[in-house]
Amino acid sequence: MELNDKITLSLPCKAEYVSVARLTASGIAYRMGFDIDTVEDIKVAVSEVCSRLINVSRNNSGEYEIFYEINDNKLKVTFSSKIERAGCIFEDDEEGLGVAIIKAFMDEVEFCPDNKDYILSMTKYIEEKS
Amino acid sequence: MSGELIVRAECSEKNAEIFVSGEIDIYNAQQFKEKIYQAVENSKGDVSIDCSGLNYLDSTGLGVFVGALKKAKQDDRNIHIVNIKDNIKKLFVITGLDKLFIIH
Repeated sequence: MELNDKITLSLPCKAEYVSVARLTASGIAYRMGFDIDTVEDIKVAVSEVCSRLINVSRNNSGEYEIFYEINDNKLKVTFSSKIERAGCIFEDDEEGLGVAIIKAFMDEVEFCPDNKDYILSMTKYIEEKS
Repeated sequence: MSGELIVRAECSEKNAEIFVSGEIDIYNAQQFKEKIYQAVENSKGDVSIDCSGLNYLDSTGLGVFVGALKKAKQDDRNIHIVNIKDNIKKLFVITGLDKLFIIH
């Protein structure tokens, strides 16, 4: 049967909990069998999005969700939030360091989806071992 | 906890050496910024940042490094990054910042 597990993490928009997001991301990525370098890449990419969300949230209020979809060949990470300014969170920072890092570390990234149910999704494929 | 940020600075009139360990992210980047900016101000020479204990860095921390470099460059001084781990160095390379800092 094809693997299709889902894990959801809900966090307050506060800087002190971004490390929790990283721990969860690395735990899931490690469990999926990504090598240690890729686990670190995924951690950083997730943290970049969390940090950006916290920066755009007013008074650090509100929450955001990180939704992990675990398949046989890939990990898809989706972010959603109802905070007022969520929208397209990298809209005015396309040339920024955060965007460069996310694009380098993840295989696919959807920055400003038309679907307003989420604000960003990114995917990392598991490399086939030869 | 291995994530806790510890920043220790040894400054002389000639140069400054900063030792960083732990993780730098949005939560503690301000703490790192205050220490590194102070070291740049207190030194007349180049600043060396020993990153042998640095386990995590992202764009928030990179921004602090860049800000410190700008301060140093005002007086024609450099920032040297030493003993950097491969996963941290990768961030400098991806963002092109490896061309601005002197990485040993």
